Amino acid sequence: MSKPVLTSLHQALRKSFQCLENNQKVWENVLAECSPLMVSLGNLAEQSTALSNVQISNTPLRAFPDLEERLRFKLLQATDTVLNKLSEKMSSLQSVRDAISNQVSAVFQLYEQSTDSLDLLTVTERSAIAPSVADMLEWLQDAERHYRQQFLRRKTLLQTLRADNLSLLESAPKRWKSLESPSAEDNITDTLCKVSFFMESP
Amino acid sequence: MKSLRLLSVDPSDQGSQRCRLGPGLMSALGLSLGSPLLVSVPGGSCLCTAWPRPDLAEGFLQMDLKCSSPSLISHPCTHLDLDPGQLTPVPCLKLKGVKITVVVQSVDFRKHTPPRLIHELVKDMLKGVHVHNKYVINLQDFDTEIKYVVIESINPESAIAGYITSKTAVEITGVQTVRHYRSRLQKQHTVPLGGLEEVSASLREMLELPLLYPRTLSSIGVLCPRGMLLVGPPGVGKTLLVHTVVEEVGASLVVVRGPEVVGSRPGESEAMLRAVFEQARAATEEGPCVLFLDELDSLSPRRTGSTAPENRLVAQLLTLMDGMDQSDHFLIVGATNRPDSLDPALRRPGRFDREVIIGAPTLQQRKAILSVLCTRMPTCPSVDMAELAQRTTGYVGADLSALCREAAMHALREESKGSGGQAVGMKHFQEALKSVRPSCLRSSLGRTDLSPVSWEQIGGLDEVKLRLRQSIEWPMRYPEAFVRLGLCRPHGVLLYGPPGCAKTTLVRAAATSSHCAFLSVSGADLYSPYVGDSEKALAQLFRQARACTPCILFLDEIDSLVGSRSNSQTPNSVQTRLLSVLLNEMDGIGLKTLERRGTEKILQTEGVEENHTQEQLDCQEVSNKDVMVVAATNRPDCLDSALLRPGRLEHIIHVPPPDQQARLAILKACTKSMPLSVDVCLEELVAKTELYSGADLENLCKEAALLALQEENMEASAIKHTYFLRALSKMRPSLTAQQIHTYQTPPK
Repeated sequence: MSKPVLTSLHQALRKSFQCLENNQKVWENVLAECSPLMVSLGNLAEQSTALSNVQISNTPLRAFPDLEERLRFKLLQATDTVLNKLSEKMSSLQSVRDAISNQVSAVFQLYEQSTDSLDLLTVTERSAIAPSVADMLEWLQDAERHYRQQFLRRKTLLQTLRADNLSLLESAPKRWKSLESPSAEDNITDTLCKVSFFMESP
Repeated sequence: MKSLRLLSVDPSDQGSQRCRLGPGLMSALGLSLGSPLLVSVPGGSCLCTAWPRPDLAEGFLQMDLKCSSPSLISHPCTHLDLDPGQLTPVPCLKLKGVKITVVVQSVDFRKHTPPRLIHELVKDMLKGVHVHNKYVINLQDFDTEIKYVVIESINPESAIAGYITSKTAVEITGVQTVRHYRSRLQKQHTVPLGGLEEVSASLREMLELPLLYPRTLSSIGVLCPRGMLLVGPPGVGKTLLVHTVVEEVGASLVVVRGPEVVGSRPGESEAMLRAVFEQARAATEEGPCVLFLDELDSLSPRRTGSTAPENRLVAQLLTLMDGMDQSDHFLIVGATNRPDSLDPALRRPGRFDREVIIGAPTLQQRKAILSVLCTRMPTCPSVDMAELAQRTTGYVGADLSALCREAAMHALREESKGSGGQAVGMKHFQEALKSVRPSCLRSSLGRTDLSPVSWEQIGGLDEVKLRLRQSIEWPMRYPEAFVRLGLCRPHGVLLYGPPGCAKTTLVRAAATSSHCAFLSVSGADLYSPYVGDSEKALAQLFRQARACTPCILFLDEIDSLVGSRSNSQTPNSVQTRLLSVLLNEMDGIGLKTLERRGTEKILQTEGVEENHTQEQLDCQEVSNKDVMVVAATNRPDCLDSALLRPGRLEHIIHVPPPDQQARLAILKACTKSMPLSVDVCLEELVAKTELYSGADLENLCKEAALLALQEENMEASAIKHTYFLRALSKMRPSLTAQQIHTYQTPPK
C-alpha cells in the first residue's frame, strides 16, 4: 500500500539531488568569479591606505592641483564598481540557495503529507542500491544548511564593509578566502556519489 | 522502558536542531522524521527535531542545543541518563510573527550595523527553525557576529512553540551584547532585602529617571543626579542594597574596591581609576550602569599635607567625577561607614549629589528583615517575628542574618541528634540570641552581661517597684496607652537612698523585665589621663546607646561621676566637663544627622483601625526611640541642680530603708534557700532590726548560717533561732536615724 507513495517520494528525491548537482556547479563557478573581484577590492583598499599615508605636497607631484581628492574619487569609484559586481554575484548565489531551499522544503513537505502511510521501518530501510529515505532527507537538509550558512557568512562580510574602515576593507579578501569550507563541499560531492546509483535507476 | 544515555552532539549535526534517537523509541513516541520534540534535562529543556540515529541503535540520545531554555546556555549538560518520559512531542505550527532580542558579540557591531541589515540577517538565520517561547536560539554555527536570539513572544500567543517560515514576521525589540546578556543570566538568584524600601526606591529612581524620561529632563534644563553616598554603620546592608537594586533595574555594575585600584608605582593608581571610569562608560552603551565605590573612605581619605600619594588619587577621583558629561548615563554610588574621614570636596552637589544615611534598623525594619530572612527557612508557626524584632534591639542586618543562621544550626544539631523536627522553632532563636550579640555594641565600654533578676527576688519596696515599672516597663508594654494619653517615656530616672537598699538590684530587675539593651558605665570606664578623652567616651557611649534604642543607660554612683558645678573647688575639672556632656546628651538641641534611623514616623490618631499588632509596633517605635538614663546615688545633695530638672532626670525615686513589713519580706527572700528550724521567728528578728538595711539583713542571714556551721561542725542541717540572735548581737546597723532623716527631704 505504501508502494506508490514511496515511489513518488523517491521520484521527488531524485529530482532534488539532480537540482543539487546542477546548482553545486553554478555555485562553484560564481565563487570562482568572485575571487578576482575580492582581490581587486583588497588592492583598492591598499591604494587608499597608501594615499592617506603620503603627503602629496612633499612630492614632485605637488604641481597637479587637487591631486589627492581626484585620486580618492577615482579609487572610490573603482571600489563602487567592484562592489556592484560583487552584489550581482551575490544575487546569483542567492538564487542558487533559494533553488536548493525550495527543492528541499518541497520534498520535505511531500514526506510530511505522507507520514501516515510511511512507518519508520520503511523510512529507515536501506538496501545496496538505494539509501534510506531518512538518510537522503538528512543529506538534503545538510546541503541546504551548508549553502545557507555560506551565503549568510559571505553576505555579512560584504554588508559590514565600511568605506571609513580601510583595514576592514583590506582584510576582506583574506576573510573571504577563509570562509571556504572544502570539507563541507566534499561532503556534498560524497552525497552525490552515494546517491548516483539510486538516481540512475528508474 | 530503559533509560537513555545522553551523549554529546555529533559535529556534523551542529546547528541542525536535530535530536538523534533510536527508531524504536521514535515510533513508540509516535514521531516521524523531523517532528518537534521537547527534551527536559536537569536545569532546563531543549526543543529539537527528532531523527533516527544513522546506526539505528537504541538507548542513546544526542541533541543539538539550537533552541534551549536560557539556563542551558551557560551550563550545558552531557553524560546524563534520561528517562524516556522526559521527551514530549510538541505541536509546532507555522508562526505569524515573533518578537526577539538579538545578542551580538561586540559593541562595535551593535553600534555600526544598520538595524535593517541585522533584521535581514536574523530573518534569514531563523528560517526553518522550531522555536519555543522565551527560549534562546543559538546561532553560533553561522559564525557571524550575531550569536543568540532570545524569543520574547510569539504570535499566535496561544501556542508555546512554533515553526518559523519565510512568511513569519520578525520584530527585533532590542540588541544586546553577549557580555551583557550573560551577566543578566547570572543574576537570576537574588538575595532579598528587607526594611530598606525607602532607600532602594530613591536609588532606583535615580537610575531609572534619566532612562525613562531623557527628553523631559533635558527640556526642563535639569541635570540628572549622578552621585549618591550611602552612609551607615557596618552591616546595615549598604553593599547588598546596591547589588539588589542594580539587579532589579537590570543595570550593569562596575565595582571598585579601594585596595584593588591602588598600585605600587606612582601614577599607577590614577591610571587604574581612569580605566574603571572608562569601563563604566563603555557599559552605559547597553543601558544603565552603576559605578560602585565600596569603602570609599579608604579610596579617598581627607587630604592632608602636600605630598601624600593619596592626594593625587583623591584629586583624580574629583576630576573624573567632574569630567563626566551629561551623555554618560552612569551613576556613581559610594558607600562608607566613616563619612567624616572623606575628603570634603567629594561631598558637594555635582559629585555626590545625595547622601543617604542608613541607620541601625528600627523595630519595624528589623521585623521586615527577619521575615525576609526566614522566608527560605522552614520555621515553626510559633515563631513570632514581632517578638523577635523586639528582642533584637541594636542588631543590624548582618547580625540578624547571623542570628537566623545560628538558630538554623541549632535546629540542625538537634535534628542530627534525633530529637525534634526540621523546622526552626522559637527555642532555637532563644538559644541563638545568647550567642549572637549586636555588633553595634561590640567594643562599647558600657556593655555588661548581667545575671537576670526578677522583681520577686527583691523583698519589699513595692511602691518603688511600681514607680520603676511605670517609668521603664510600661512604655514598652503599653505604648498605645501612652500615645493615647499623650504621654512620653521619661528621659531619666534617679534612684536615691541610703547605701545597701537595693538600688542597683532594682535597676537590674528592671533591665531584665524589659528586653532593652542595657549599658552600664562607671567612673573607671570613663576616666582617662588624656584631656578630653573622658568626654569623648561618654558622648560615644550615648551615640551607641541611641543606635540601639530602646536602651537603658545605667550610671551608678552618679555623684562621683559628674559632681556638681556649684560646690566644686576646681571649676574646670573632668567632672564638670563630663557633667556638661551629660546635660547636653540628655536634653541637647538635637541629633547629629549621621545618627538618623529609619524614617520619621508621625502617629496618626485618627484613621481606620487596621491591624492591631501593627499599630502597637508603630506606637512602640514612636514612644521608645530615646535612650533612658537611670542613675543611682546615695548623695543626692551632691548633684547639680540642672541634672534634676524635668526633661533630664525627671523621675526622682526615693529608695527608703526597709520598714517592718519590708524587712520581713527581705528576710523571707534571703532565707528562701536556707533550711530554717521550726523555732525561727522572723517577726521577732524584724522587730529587733530597726535601722538595718537590706544588705545588713542579708549579711545577718549569712552570719547565722556560718554560726550554725561553726557550732555543729559541718553536719548542721538547720539554722536555729539562737544563731540568728547571736549574730544579731554582734552586728550593728549601718544606718543611723539622722542619716535617714536627711534622705526624707527630697533633693531640690
